[in-house]
Amino acid sequence: MMLLQMVFWLFITILLYVVFRRLYQLLPYPFMIPVLTCTVVLVIVLKSFDVSYDTYFSGGKWIDALLGPAIVALAFPLYQQRKLLNKFKVEILATVLTASLLGILSGYWLAIVSGYNEKIVSTIISKNVTTPVAMEVASMTGGEPAFAVIFVMIAGIGGAVTGPWLFQLLGISNFLGIGMAFGGASHAIGTAKALEYGQREAAISSIGLSLCALCVSILGPIILKWVS
Amino acid sequence: MSSQLNKYMIITLQIVLLFGFYLVGGFLQTTFALPVPGSVVGMLLLLIGLYLKWIPIQWISKGSSALLNHLPLLFVPVTVGIMQHLDFFSGKSLWLVPIVLFSTWIVMGITGLLGQFLANRKEWGK
Repeated sequence: MMLLQMVFWLFITILLYVVFRRLYQLLPYPFMIPVLTCTVVLVIVLKSFDVSYDTYFSGGKWIDALLGPAIVALAFPLYQQRKLLNKFKVEILATVLTASLLGILSGYWLAIVSGYNEKIVSTIISKNVTTPVAMEVASMTGGEPAFAVIFVMIAGIGGAVTGPWLFQLLGISNFLGIGMAFGGASHAIGTAKALEYGQREAAISSIGLSLCALCVSILGPIILKWVS
Repeated sequence: MSSQLNKYMIITLQIVLLFGFYLVGGFLQTTFALPVPGSVVGMLLLLIGLYLKWIPIQWISKGSSALLNHLPLLFVPVTVGIMQHLDFFSGKSLWLVPIVLFSTWIVMGITGLLGQFLANRKEWGK
């Protein structure tokens, strides 16, 4: 029974992905990205049939196990674009630092202005970096790691969905601008979107997500201590 | 048929190699309490391996492409976890959603404009 459930949810996830990926190719609107459509449909299905997340994840974990190796695989576009990265190393470092500081400070300021407590403030500053780092920063600074997961997800999916409109609005079409915006604001989910734009955007986005994770994990706790 | 099978074998073996880098990265992360996740450490290790030509690019190219082509799928099991926190989206916490989005737009917009400006300056400025 357990095995059957496991295989069932694994199969359903892959099936939905195949269907929604095809649909996204037919209707390439930013809000149709498969990670969003699959998640929404799965949550609705699981809730309406009263299936727990643990039951679902017994199947889902087989897909999740590939996420780590996939992040490792980002070394492939990075290596292929090594000449580009070397050429723009100063620009990359400058934009990484800018993205990290903006994420921390704007999150901090908006949460303070809206009257949220220290726990939320400590959690929100690291929302633009990858989940394990955001959770770590949250727990180090007295935040709430469970909330960190939600914030990271909103920043990731929200950024991947609205990024194309924002770029159009601001006239951003350069590979370094687009790649770093996705990697620095929307971490790995943004990088998945950057892969749609091309190898150069993906390489910049990958280096952006790794360096911003490093930057925020160091700067986040320091800035938080410094401002309070 | 056999070449097709061969192709999947190669992809699978390459993903196993990538998994190895991920495990080593995780081990280094916990052993030295590094501030970045094990997967990112593994990525940097692989990058170093490729640079130093210890790992030929052919050993990972097919497996990497296969995983990266379907990267969105790999996030789904984790993002579905949001179902455990649906009460978050009612009441006082709800206001945090536009805050996170707005802050994310600030990062994206300014970083994007700066990146574009710096890259253009480099290409045409001199």
